Amino acid sequence: MDPLLYVLDLIVFIGIFGIVALSLNLEFGFAGLANFGKVAFFLIGAYTYALLSQIGVPFYLCLVAGGLVSAIFGLLVSLPALRLRADYLAIAVLAFGEILRLIVKSEEFAGGDWGITVSPAISLVGASHRVDALVNIGLVYFCLLICFIVVQLLANSPYGRAMRAIREDEVAAEALGKSEVKYKAQALMLGSAMAGVAGGLYAQYLQYVLPGMFMPMVTFTVWIMVLLGGPANNWGVLLGAALVQIFNRGTNILKDYFILPINPTDLQYILFGALIILVLLYRPQGLLKESRIKTKAMEGVRRARNAVKNKGSQ
Amino acid sequence: MQETLLKIREVSKHFGGVYAVSGVSLNIKGGGIWGLVGPNGSGKTTLFNTILGLHRPDEGDIYFNGKCINRLAPHQIYGLGLVNAFQIPRLFSRLSVLDNMLLAARGHQGDTLLNSLFLRKGWQEQEVELAGKAMEILETLELVHLALSPAGELSGGQRKLLEVGRGVMSSPTLLLLDEPAAGINPNLGKKIFQGIEDLSQEGLSFFIIEHRLEILFDFAHWVYVMDKGKIVVEGKPEEVLEDPAFFEVYLGV
Repeated sequence: MDPLLYVLDLIVFIGIFGIVALSLNLEFGFAGLANFGKVAFFLIGAYTYALLSQIGVPFYLCLVAGGLVSAIFGLLVSLPALRLRADYLAIAVLAFGEILRLIVKSEEFAGGDWGITVSPAISLVGASHRVDALVNIGLVYFCLLICFIVVQLLANSPYGRAMRAIREDEVAAEALGKSEVKYKAQALMLGSAMAGVAGGLYAQYLQYVLPGMFMPMVTFTVWIMVLLGGPANNWGVLLGAALVQIFNRGTNILKDYFILPINPTDLQYILFGALIILVLLYRPQGLLKESRIKTKAMEGVRRARNAVKNKGSQ
Repeated sequence: MQETLLKIREVSKHFGGVYAVSGVSLNIKGGGIWGLVGPNGSGKTTLFNTILGLHRPDEGDIYFNGKCINRLAPHQIYGLGLVNAFQIPRLFSRLSVLDNMLLAARGHQGDTLLNSLFLRKGWQEQEVELAGKAMEILETLELVHLALSPAGELSGGQRKLLEVGRGVMSSPTLLLLDEPAAGINPNLGKKIFQGIEDLSQEGLSFFIIEHRLEILFDFAHWVYVMDKGKIVVEGKPEEVLEDPAFFEVYLGV
């Protein structure tokens, strides 16, 4: 395979999973929601894109629709799920993801086991694979940029502060006027919308969707990205997304050079598992620690405090 | 004294067969400092939690500013201006002291999703003002040098102070304080009560549980005494001190 194309392909994957990791960061890192069903919303976005593009809807509308349908499902799931305690919420959404996967696997309209073929968003006549990959990088990183700006703005706003407060202590946040249900439902909705857009990008990049692409392992991979990079730090989870993707590719290449007594794909999972345990044991805050809340007022106070400190030391 | 702020009518709350609060009625009028005392386990904190919507009353009604608040969620009750500071501080430990204060501000425009994204200019200005107010409160609580430290790094006494400060930050109509002077040194305890007195002269009303009677009785103008879930004595501090029932509750004589 063309090495440059391999790298370009890696960059596209980092971008797509970067969006999913940002969405999980919004839900888990900021609002403290253990969404173990991330893949469900990724799937909804991908299948919405695939089904709509089949009937000739332009690609940007397919992407938006993927986000919207996913957001609606996020809200619907949140209504019963938010009544559950954190660990039960995790199990409920995990099951939701598996149910969805089995539905598209069994239903004819979704192509069953064979999936659906998707035509590329922008097809340039006679373009090489490299150009194709570059076009995709442009599209994916444009979406990533928008998502990043949104989550960054939220993280550095009173809204993000309220989310973090709910994560820290729901009862105290509620007693200070922050409606737990409202914030959590909105976080799930927005996070699902982002995952849905990422799913659409994924479908159009690979040019097909299959039930097998949406195994629970996808959710766990995204969790590793967030935990490794640093929950509640948007730069951190992007770093996590890049590292996990590179690790994935690296071990994929290596497995051609080693003859192992066990299935190398299983070994990859084992290494992922070990990695997550090591991170949680030795660096529970992730590679980058939680970002401060930067608003005009907070920065003003920070500057004033630093000025006082510097005066004191002179 | 102005009109009745908080009116509690025959409120009971039981857990299983145990009545923590049984048939309590009281009236808190606007302005002033109202005390609630009683031995451990007499139901004071349960009464507060019931007022705040953290528990639903099993019987009776609670009115705030003439509005029945029995069935409101805690965040709605807070929105009406009935705010509390917990007995055991419940701070957001990974957030800074100043963030903890700003979270308590009522009516922060940036609290909603769309405003925080699209009305940035409006709430940024508002927050600068709120931060100024928060720093003033922190100044009186002697916490201003810690404004940017995570709340989790505070000592026990400082946590208590911040919990009270958060309550004040919300500009409530009625502030419920559950043992504000417990666990902090006596001088600072007195200072807090002096701060409370200043605020009450500006029109804020307080309803305070306090075990340190020597401080509370200096400042409160009306005291309720609870025992075994019931109000047994009420009156001006000096009258309560004269009442034999009060001694019975505290000394068992």
